[in-house]
Amino acid sequence: MVQIDLAKDSVREANEKIRELGKKGEDIDIINPDARHHIGVGLTEPITVKVHGSAGYFCAGLTDKANFDIEANVGWGVGDNMYTGSVIVRGNAGAIPGVAIRGAEIIIHGNMGSRAGQVMKEGTLCCLGNANFMAGYMMYGGRIIILGDSGERVGEDMSAGEIYVAGNVTSLGSDAKQTDLGTEDDHDVREFLDRYKIPFTGTLKKVVNAGTKLRYAKSEEQVRSIPFFTFSGNSDYWNPKIQEDIHIKSQIGRYRVRGYGGARPLPHFNDIAFRKDLSRAGDDPDVISKVELSTEVGGMYGATPLKLSMPVMIAPMSYGALSRSTKQAIAMASAMSNIAENTGEGGMSDAQRDAADQLVFQMLGGRLGWNIHDMQRADGLEIYISQGAKPGFGGQLMAKKVTKELAEIRGIPEGIDLRSPSRHPDILGADDLVIKVEELREATGYRVPVSVKLGAGRVRDDIKIAYKDGFDFVELDGMQGSTGAGGAEVAEYVGIPTIAAITEALEALEEIDATGKLEIILMGGMRDGIDIVKSLALGAHAAAVGTSVLIAGGCIACMQCHVGQCVTGIATQDPEHEKRYKPEVEAKNIHRYLEGLRWQIAALTHAIGHKSVHDLNRNDLVALTPEAAEMTKLPYAPEYREREDALRAQVS
Amino acid sequence: MSRDKTNNSTAPRPLMAELPDDTSDLHFVPAPCQIACPVGTDAPSYIAHIWDGEYEKAYEAITATNPFSSICGRVCDAPCEPACRRTDSDGPVQIRNLKRFVMDKVGHDYDPPPLSVTQKQTVAVVGSGPAGMVAVHDLCESGFEVHLYEMTDRLGGMMIWGIPAFRLPQHVIQEDIDRLTQRCPGLKVHLNTALGTDISLDELKQRHDAVILAIGSWWGKKMEIPGEEDERVIDGVQFLRDINAGARPEMPETVVVIGGGDVAMDACRAALRLPGCEKVKVVYRRGSEDIPARKIELQGAIEEGIEFIYNTQQIAIEPTNSGLNLQCVTTEAGPPDEDGRSRPVVVENSEHFIPCGMVIAAVGQQGKCEHLNKKGMMLTDRVDTNWENMRTDDPKVFAAGDGAFGGSTIVMAMSHGQRVAYYVKAFLEGRDSPLPYKTPYKTRRVPVAQDQLWEKLPVQEPVFHGVGENPVEFPEIEDTYGREDALKEAARCYRCDAETGSTDYAVKHREDIFTMARTNPLDHNKLKDTLKERLGARKNPYPDERLATLDDLAFLPANLSRLVIDPYREACNTKTELGEGKMSLSSPFLVTGFDDAESDVKRDVGRGLALADCGYLGIKPLNDEIPWIQLVIPDQIEPSGKASGLIYSIGHKFKPVDAKRLNENQLLGISVSSSQTLQEAIPFALENNFDVLLLDATGALGSPWSELKGNPDISILRDAVNILRELDREEEIDLVYFGGLRSGTDAAKVIGLGGKVVVYGVVAGLAAGGQITDQHSMHFEADRTSDDRSEGVTSILKACANEASMMARCTGKTNLMNIEPEDMRAISSATAKATGIPVAGNAE
Repeated sequence: MVQIDLAKDSVREANEKIRELGKKGEDIDIINPDARHHIGVGLTEPITVKVHGSAGYFCAGLTDKANFDIEANVGWGVGDNMYTGSVIVRGNAGAIPGVAIRGAEIIIHGNMGSRAGQVMKEGTLCCLGNANFMAGYMMYGGRIIILGDSGERVGEDMSAGEIYVAGNVTSLGSDAKQTDLGTEDDHDVREFLDRYKIPFTGTLKKVVNAGTKLRYAKSEEQVRSIPFFTFSGNSDYWNPKIQEDIHIKSQIGRYRVRGYGGARPLPHFNDIAFRKDLSRAGDDPDVISKVELSTEVGGMYGATPLKLSMPVMIAPMSYGALSRSTKQAIAMASAMSNIAENTGEGGMSDAQRDAADQLVFQMLGGRLGWNIHDMQRADGLEIYISQGAKPGFGGQLMAKKVTKELAEIRGIPEGIDLRSPSRHPDILGADDLVIKVEELREATGYRVPVSVKLGAGRVRDDIKIAYKDGFDFVELDGMQGSTGAGGAEVAEYVGIPTIAAITEALEALEEIDATGKLEIILMGGMRDGIDIVKSLALGAHAAAVGTSVLIAGGCIACMQCHVGQCVTGIATQDPEHEKRYKPEVEAKNIHRYLEGLRWQIAALTHAIGHKSVHDLNRNDLVALTPEAAEMTKLPYAPEYREREDALRAQVS
Repeated sequence: MSRDKTNNSTAPRPLMAELPDDTSDLHFVPAPCQIACPVGTDAPSYIAHIWDGEYEKAYEAITATNPFSSICGRVCDAPCEPACRRTDSDGPVQIRNLKRFVMDKVGHDYDPPPLSVTQKQTVAVVGSGPAGMVAVHDLCESGFEVHLYEMTDRLGGMMIWGIPAFRLPQHVIQEDIDRLTQRCPGLKVHLNTALGTDISLDELKQRHDAVILAIGSWWGKKMEIPGEEDERVIDGVQFLRDINAGARPEMPETVVVIGGGDVAMDACRAALRLPGCEKVKVVYRRGSEDIPARKIELQGAIEEGIEFIYNTQQIAIEPTNSGLNLQCVTTEAGPPDEDGRSRPVVVENSEHFIPCGMVIAAVGQQGKCEHLNKKGMMLTDRVDTNWENMRTDDPKVFAAGDGAFGGSTIVMAMSHGQRVAYYVKAFLEGRDSPLPYKTPYKTRRVPVAQDQLWEKLPVQEPVFHGVGENPVEFPEIEDTYGREDALKEAARCYRCDAETGSTDYAVKHREDIFTMARTNPLDHNKLKDTLKERLGARKNPYPDERLATLDDLAFLPANLSRLVIDPYREACNTKTELGEGKMSLSSPFLVTGFDDAESDVKRDVGRGLALADCGYLGIKPLNDEIPWIQLVIPDQIEPSGKASGLIYSIGHKFKPVDAKRLNENQLLGISVSSSQTLQEAIPFALENNFDVLLLDATGALGSPWSELKGNPDISILRDAVNILRELDREEEIDLVYFGGLRSGTDAAKVIGLGGKVVVYGVVAGLAAGGQITDQHSMHFEADRTSDDRSEGVTSILKACANEASMMARCTGKTNLMNIEPEDMRAISSATAKATGIPVAGNAE
C-alpha cells in the first residue's frame, strides 16, 4: 500500500505514479483528493485504489481491471467507459455515473445524478439511494439496480439491458416498459447485492426496452440515383428527384436515408482558380523531390505529432459503414503512402491497427467500440462532435449492417437500426469538453494529440471553442462530406460548404488573436491534388480524403451505401458481398491514388513557385464565381475561367 | 416512378464531322465495356433498354456500329466482358448473351431502310469476311457503290467457313448478311471471283477508285515436324471449312487436336460430334493458365468431355499399325517472352507418345496470295500494310483484317473494316491527312434500371446442352436467355457510363479518380495529362439566371456552440396555433388544391388529412371532419359560417375587403399574391385585427395547381416580415405561406424566415397518387386504392413533420417554431438577396 497525497502531487503526476505502481501490483491510498477530476484515469492493472475523500469528474474513468473505493462523493461520470473492475462510492454520485461501462461494477451507496448508465454496454451499475431523471438513457446492455426510486423517464430510449427498481418507478422513458421479474433475474440481482454485502429484502420491478423504436416500421424502397443534373442547377422545380422523394416519403412516412454526401452543386474548389499560369505544371518529372511535402500534425502543444509524408490524411470512416476488408485496404494504403488513417466510429480492430502505421482513434457519443486499450495503442485520439454530411446528428447504421461481429466490437445488440446519439453524454458545452479532453490526455499520458472532428456549421463559434478547449488540431468537414447513411435532406441542406468553412475558421482564429495556433485539417469533397492545394492555400494545415479513397478502391458512386448490400463489397457487412472486395488489390489502387495526389500537390506547388506546401497562401488564388468570392473573401476574377478551359483543351 | 429526361444542357460538341462521338458530353464517360469493344458498342444503353423491355431500341444500339450483331451475339469473343467492372465483384455482366437475346427477339424480321448511293466513286473490296463486309457497310453508309469480290460461293469469310454450326447456326449468319445486303443497294457482289485467278489487282484499280484488300488469314500454318505429310494429319482451318461446307466425315476413334486457340477449340468440338469419334484430346504446349482459347469455349469443350493435355509439345508423327503415334515431349514454364507469357521449355528425357487415328493441326493461320506476292505487296503471311492509315505501298490500295495484321477475332476484324473505310473515305474525299481514326463512343442516355436486386443478382447462366441428342446435326450448344433471365442479367449492369447522383463525385470525377488509382506513380506523362484535364474550371453552378430558391438555404447545425441534451430521439415539438388559439395544429401545415378534384380523390385526401390531423384550405370543404379554412374570393365566393377560418383573397392589387367573422371563433385573414400589395395590405390587416396574412408566392392561389405554373417568388416572405418589423408589429399577425413547398425541409426554412404555417399543394397531390401533366396540372389515375391515397397523404404529412423537426433539432431546437433566420445561411447570392439571409461564411 502506497500513499499518494494530492495536496502535493498534481493529478497528472499522481496518475503516472498510479500506473507505475499498478505495474508492480501495489495498492494505493489517495489522500487529500479534494474532488479533483480524473483520479485514476487510464489505469489498467488489477490493484485497489482507495480515495480518502471526494473525487471529481471521471474518477476511475477509462480503466480496466482496477478496483476503486471512494470514501465520500464523486462528480460526473464515475467509472466512465470502464471495462472490468469495480468502483464503490460511499457517498453520492453526480450525473452520468457508469456512463458507457463495458463490464465494470459500480456501486453507489448514496443517490445518483441524472442519466445514470447512459450508453452503457455491459456490467452493473447499482445505486442504493434514488436515481435522478433518465437513468439508463440509451443504454445498449448491462444492468442498472436502483434500490431507491427510479427518477423520471427511467430507461429512456434504451436499446437493451435491464433496469431493476426497488422503490417507485416515477415514470417510464420513451420506448421503455415495465415487465415481469423472473425468478432468475431476482436471484441474480440478490446474489450481486450479497456479493457487495448490501442488505436488501424488498421487491424489485424490472424495466426493459419496449421495442417500438429499434427498427423502422417500413423500409425504404431502394432506388438507384437519378443523374444529379436533373435535379439541380436550373432544372425543373418539380423535377424527377423531387417527385421520387415525395413518392417514397408518402410510403414510409418519414425522412429518407441514403449514403454519400450532398448531391447538388455547391460553391466548391472548382469555383476557385490559381492566379499563376499552370500550363507548365508537371513538366518536370522529378517534381516531388523539389517540393517540401512532409507535414506534422498535432505536435504544437507537446504531443507526439502525426508525421505525414504529405499534407494528406485519411478521413474518418467507420468499420460498420465500411466492410472490414475495406478498412484493411485503406489502412494498408495509408501505410504504403506514409500518412495517417482514422478508425471512424466503429472501434479499432487488430488487423487495422497492424496495417496502419499511424492510426487516429475516434470517439463518438455512443462510445461504440471505445476502450482504454485501443486508446493506448492509438497515435491520436479524436472526439467526434459532428460531420459534414450530417452535422448535428448521430450516425445511422441500418440493421442489415449490424451483424453479430459488428455488434460485438461496438458493444450493442445485433440487428437494430442503430441510430447513434448525436451528443456525447458528458459534453454538453465548452466547459465539459475541456474536462473530457483532459481525461483523454490523462488516459494516454499526454503522449498523443487529441483532435476534434467538426461538421461545418457555426464554424466561427465552434473553432473558437475548440481552440480554447486545447485541442491539438481540428478536422473540419464541410457540407460536401459524405457518410454511410444519413438523412438525405440533412446531407443536402445542413451545414456550410467546405470553402466557406475554412475561411470562417481562419477568421475566427484571427478574431481571437490565435492565427497559426490551431491546425485545421480540411475535408469534405476533396477529389484530387488540386482541391488539396487550394485547401492549403486557403489556410488549411492539411486535407483529408475519404470518398475519393473509396472510389480509388473500386466504389462506383451509386450512393446505395445505406442499403448494406454494396455491389463492390465496400459498404456492406454481408460476407457474400464483402468477399467481392480484394483488400490487397484495392490497397494498391488506393496507394496509387494517394501517390497521384502527392505528385499533383508537388507539381502544382512547384508551378506556383513555392518550395514547400506550407508556403501556399491566399494570394495564390482567385474566385471564379460571386458566391465563391463571397464565401472565401478571395478576389472575384471570372476572367481566369478562360485560362483554365484552355488548359483542359491542351489535353483533349 | 418518373424517369429523368436526361436533358442535355451541355449538348455534345462534335469532335469532327467525320468522327461523331459523345465524349465531350460532361455527363457521359464511355464505360469500360464500350472502350474494350473494338467497334465501340454502346453496351450500357442496350442493356438498360433490355431491362425496360425496349427491344427495338436495344437493337438499334447494338447494330449501330455492328452489322454482324446476330453473329456476335453467338460467337463474339466479347472483350467487353473481362473489362466489365462487375467482373471483380461477382462476375461480369453477360453482355454477349444479352445481345443474343435481343437479336433473337427482333433481329429476324428487321427491315432496314436502304442506304442510297450518292457518290460517283466506287470501291472494290476483296474478301467478304468481317473486315471486308464492315468496310462495305460503312462505305455504303457514306453513299459509295462498293464491289465485293469473294473467291468462294458464299459471303461471310471465316464467319461462315470457320465456325461450326453448333456455335453459330447458318441461319444466324444469313440473317446478318441478308440485312446488310438489303440495306446496301450500292453493294455489288461478285462471288467465285478470286484475286489473281479470276481478276487482277490492276483490273480492280482500273475499275474502281480505291481497293481494299481483306483477304483474311485463310490458311493453316504448318507444324514443321516430321510426319505431318501423312494424310491423316489435317489442317484445322481446312477441317472446319469442310465441315461447314456440309461434310460429316467418318472419324477414327481417337482424334488429337494440336493447339490452344479458337480454331483448336472449334476443331476439337466438331471432331467429337462426327461419326466414329470416341475420344478427342487437345495437346497444348503451355500450361492451362496460358491457353489463349476463350474461357467459355474451353469450359464448353471440357464439359463435353474433351481431354486437355497441357505442357506437351509435338515433335513428330509416326504411322503405326492401327493409326498414328504423336511423339511428344513434356514442357515446363520458362522465362517470359515478349508478350509476357512464359516460354515453354522442354523437359529432358520426357519423350512419350500419344496414339491416335488422326491429328488436326491448329497451330496458327496465315494469309496467302501469290498474285500480291508477285507484286511485292506481301510480308511472309500477310499484306504489308501501314496501321496508321491502312494503306499499302500502292496509293490506291488499302488493306485490313487478319490478312493485313495477322489472326485475330471477328470483332477486331470488324473494327479494321471501320478503320479502313474511314481512311478510304478520306482518300476519296481528297483529304490527305485526316484526323487519326478513333473508335467513336456514342451514348443513348438511357436511365439506369430501377431493379431492387441489382446488387445481389448473380450471373445468369444460359441453359447449356453440350453435344446434344444428335451431335452430328450440330445442334446449338446453349439456349438464348428467356425474358426473365435477360431481365435479371440486364439489372446487374453498374452503368459505368451513366451520370451519378452526386455533383462532387460526378461520373467524370469518378473516372479521373479511377484513372489516378490505376496510374503508375512513375508514369509522369499520364499524371500530367490527368492534372491538366482536372485543372479545367466548371460552369458556374449559380449562373445569373438561377432564381432565388429555398434549395439554396442551408441550416447551421448546433455543434459546440449550442448546449443541447441529446435531442436525437427526443420528439421535437411541432405544435402551433393560428389566431391566438383559434385554430390548433399538431404540425404547422395546411393542405390545399383539391377543390376541383374528383369526388373520390377528395374523399380519400380528406380522410388522409383527418388521420394526419391537418386542416384544409380551399373554396369548398373536403369533409366535415377536418378544420377548413375557406378561401373567399370577394364578389364570387360567399363566406361560409361552417368554415373554421375565412381568408379573403386580395390577389395582386390591394382593394379593401369587407371581411368579418361569421362566428366569433372564426379565423380571419387575407391572402396576398404579390409583394407590391403588402405595403397597403399589411396595415389594413393589422387595423382590422385579422389573425392571418396568407402569402401566396405562386401569384395564383385559388387557380388549380398554381404551384406548377412556375417557380415561387420567395421574396414575398422577406418583404412581409420587413414591413411588419418596421411597424414593430411582428407578433400581431400570423404569416401563412403558400407556394412551391416540396418537403419538410422547405417548411422548416419558411418557418425560420418568419412563417407560422405552410400550405402544401402539389406535394399532397403527388402523395395521393397524382401525376403532373404537361399542361401544368395534375391528373389522378384510377390505379390507386382509396386506402393508398389516404395513407399517402397521411404519410407525406408525417414525413414532412418529421423532416422539419429534424432540421429544428439539428439547429439545436426542440421546438420547430423556434427556428430563426440566424439558423440559416444562403448558398447563392440570389437567394441571399431574396431572403435577407447572408451567404455562408458571413455573419449576419
